[in-house]
Amino acid sequence: MEILRCNGIEKVFGKGDNQVIALNGISLSIEKGDFVAIIGASGSGKSTLLHILGSVDKPTKGIVTIDGVDLSGLNATDAAIFRRRKVGLVYQFYNLIPTLTAEKNILMPMLLDKRKPDLDYFKTIVKTLGIEDKLESLPSQLSGGQQQRVAIARSLIYRPAILFADEPTGNLDQKNSKEIIDLLKLSNRNLKQTILLITHDEKIALEADRIVTIEDGQIVSDQKRR
Amino acid sequence: MWKDYSKSYIKNNRASSISIMAAAFVATMFLSLLCSIAYNFWAYDVEQIILEEGDWQGRIVCETLSSDNLLSLICQFANVEKAVVGEELSQKEEIVADVYFKNARTIYRDMPLIATQLGLNEDSIQYNSLLLSRYFIHDPEDEAPPMLLALYVVILIIMSVSLILIIRGSFELSMNARIHQFGIFSSIGATPRQIRTCLLQEAMVLSILPMLIGSMFGILISYGVIKAVNFFAADVSGRHEAVFQYRPSIFAATVFISFLTVIFSAWIPARKLSKMTPLEAIRNTSGLLLKKKKHSRFLSCIFGMKGELAGNALKAQKKHLRISTLSLLLSFLGFSIMICFTTLADISTRYTYFERYQDVWDIMITLKDTEISDFDLTDELQDISKIKDATVYQKAEAMTFLPEGLQSDELSSLGGLEAVAGTPKADGQFQVSAPIVVLDDTSFLDFCLQIGITPNLDGAIVLNQIWDSINSNFRYKEYVPFVMEDNQKTALYKNGKTIEIPVLSYTQTVPTLREEYDNYALVHFIPLTMWNKTFGEVCEAESDSYIRILSNGTANLADLNNLEQEIAQLVSEQYEIESENRVQERLSNDRLIQGMVMIFGFFCVLLAIIGIANVFSNTLGFLCQRKREFAQYMSIGLTPQEMRKMFCIEAFVIAGKPLLITLPLTILFVQFAVTASHLDPMAFWSEAPLLPILIFAAAIVLFVSLAYYIGGKRLLQCDLNEALRNDTFI
Repeated sequence: MEILRCNGIEKVFGKGDNQVIALNGISLSIEKGDFVAIIGASGSGKSTLLHILGSVDKPTKGIVTIDGVDLSGLNATDAAIFRRRKVGLVYQFYNLIPTLTAEKNILMPMLLDKRKPDLDYFKTIVKTLGIEDKLESLPSQLSGGQQQRVAIARSLIYRPAILFADEPTGNLDQKNSKEIIDLLKLSNRNLKQTILLITHDEKIALEADRIVTIEDGQIVSDQKRR
Repeated sequence: MWKDYSKSYIKNNRASSISIMAAAFVATMFLSLLCSIAYNFWAYDVEQIILEEGDWQGRIVCETLSSDNLLSLICQFANVEKAVVGEELSQKEEIVADVYFKNARTIYRDMPLIATQLGLNEDSIQYNSLLLSRYFIHDPEDEAPPMLLALYVVILIIMSVSLILIIRGSFELSMNARIHQFGIFSSIGATPRQIRTCLLQEAMVLSILPMLIGSMFGILISYGVIKAVNFFAADVSGRHEAVFQYRPSIFAATVFISFLTVIFSAWIPARKLSKMTPLEAIRNTSGLLLKKKKHSRFLSCIFGMKGELAGNALKAQKKHLRISTLSLLLSFLGFSIMICFTTLADISTRYTYFERYQDVWDIMITLKDTEISDFDLTDELQDISKIKDATVYQKAEAMTFLPEGLQSDELSSLGGLEAVAGTPKADGQFQVSAPIVVLDDTSFLDFCLQIGITPNLDGAIVLNQIWDSINSNFRYKEYVPFVMEDNQKTALYKNGKTIEIPVLSYTQTVPTLREEYDNYALVHFIPLTMWNKTFGEVCEAESDSYIRILSNGTANLADLNNLEQEIAQLVSEQYEIESENRVQERLSNDRLIQGMVMIFGFFCVLLAIIGIANVFSNTLGFLCQRKREFAQYMSIGLTPQEMRKMFCIEAFVIAGKPLLITLPLTILFVQFAVTASHLDPMAFWSEAPLLPILIFAAAIVLFVSLAYYIGGKRLLQCDLNEALRNDTFI
């Protein structure tokens, strides 16, 4: 079952002489339960693509459909609600709210929807991620690896249609990097979570089922590994 | 979001919360002060009108009905609350009824109806339109009603908009510091509305208490202002004392307007923030960004690269610093100009009044509703040992007609009678004002001796002078003769009658009276005997008479007070009097000026506080955002001392700008005012209020420096390396 489709995505920054074409006709399809890695050098356009797919940015041209919803037709409010319910985002620098505890950070997407969290699912996630004893801590009291675990838990709490991870290990040491990738694989296997991982590290990309390579805003290869 | 996010944010960011609370407090205090003072001015105005005109709303003059009939007929109208006969105005055949309405808003419709029912025409009705206009009731047929309400509303709107601009800065700072956080919220699905609501909720929660306390403070300050006005104007004659008044509805209106102001102030940045895309918000590094290349030539020329960096930082903060720059500038400019103006006014009053009349009078007694001929204590007064000289006099108005041939040569060369008296009558004569001053006989005889003529009570002495306005200014007036001194008689006209009296002499010397004579009039000094004999039946004088007294002593306050008391005791038994004492008047005048300086100075200080608070709020509020900026400077090798120097430059510019703009403007104002008032510039500069201006300037510099000292110290204590590491994804 196709969970994500994008056709002819273009993204242009600036105008006139300062114009930069970040994405140039990207088309991609991802099936439910896939673990896809997008790989490319710095400046190749992979983060821009992730922002557009995650509905935090809009393409200059092209269509993105996630779980049957055309993102181009969404206004700011609908896009926010869509992100809350259908998309999970994990960033390199965690992006946790510094004044909220780890637990509140994780539950925030549900709280924004005024919904009661599924406590069993919450416990499963925090146990799987190994942060059950850190729930009352503020982000500043956690290590980088722990903060990234909290960010992953937050992205999973709503059971999103797809989880986008942008260089999630870019700010971590080797041990923590491996653990984070293992956790993502675990959630892909156990929770059937579709994952799109952005990285410039080929070793990490090899952990994915499919590797898409981007260069100068275009897909130059798309390899299925399993 | 309020429960989950805002509470913890407020708890963990006290500085930002205090800044918002302080802004809301100041805004509400100003609004409350404005509302309370406006209400008290209005109430005082109403009281004044009632004292002078009475509290009647409509008035009916009727000749055909008896008072009882008239009142009962008027009271039959449903909207009439009561009707009373105005005893003072009613005459035997004419009854004047004052009418009060239950709903005065329909008075302009009801009064003509009442008149019609009584069989009277519209000329029989009158409106207390001045009083009614204070209740915003205007004649619908009046095309230009007084715009008092409109004025109040415009002032209130201007004030509210200014306050919105002021407190918006605090909200903006607090919100800008969290753009990244709201970007995260947005990326995990918070809608723009949720973000806006969260920010507005925070604003309201933080502002409620300061709004209430600010309202109370505003009321207290307005109470103080009324008390201060009463204190400083206590000796102003004829002024009735203001009583502080307040109503719950004013409090409700103040809180409501403050609420709208706070909400709107928070809504502007909240809307801006909620409109940002999550990517824009998350990418926001919150540093100080310049939209285009800037070059601070002046600062870089003086301070080198540090000056350039500080200048660019200031330019990037320009929008946030606008309020502080403006309020510091306005307060300093307002204070400087106000204090220079009062100094000028003081010098001018001293020259034109106190010093001019220093040897003319010590005590002035106004004999209310008393004809000079009815005053019979002149000899007793002149016998009091402490009195060197006493003159009783009364003034009257009259006219004289002068043929062109009578004008003096000097007047001819200045443009002639036509220039001062307008076009002549058909017979070629010019009508000229000829004020009469009736002196008691002794004083008149003294005046004869003073000008060197044989004392005589059978004629007038004519003050034959006119101001040479071409060759002299109003401050240092030079006079030329008005008429040729050939005529031995003068004809005065009043009420269609002519009185011809002998002229004893023409003179350019004035008797020692505390009087300012018209520039283009032929003043006639007449002895009381002649007045009684010749004018009494024809010409009516002004209602009051005056006694001018010059004391024997050194004219210190205690002596004059005693003498004033002694004279008052003597005179007030038979006459209604008002008395003035020169030294007391001087002290009262000084106190009035001092009061004005204090009240205006207080407002200037308040304005300066807003500016300084804004500088504090900016400096401390930008702390987080500027950490990264200074970390970057540090990474390229700027030492802490050099960073401190940058702070000094910024403080110097912020505090220096209002001073540099104000000083030339104040000098220009003084130059203009000195020229316009024909004062000797050295007279001002020798008394220029440099010390208070310097103290005000020093206070601005001190507090701005303190804000930067605290902000800089905190910033340099931070781990700036951490700031460099703490980047967002790009």
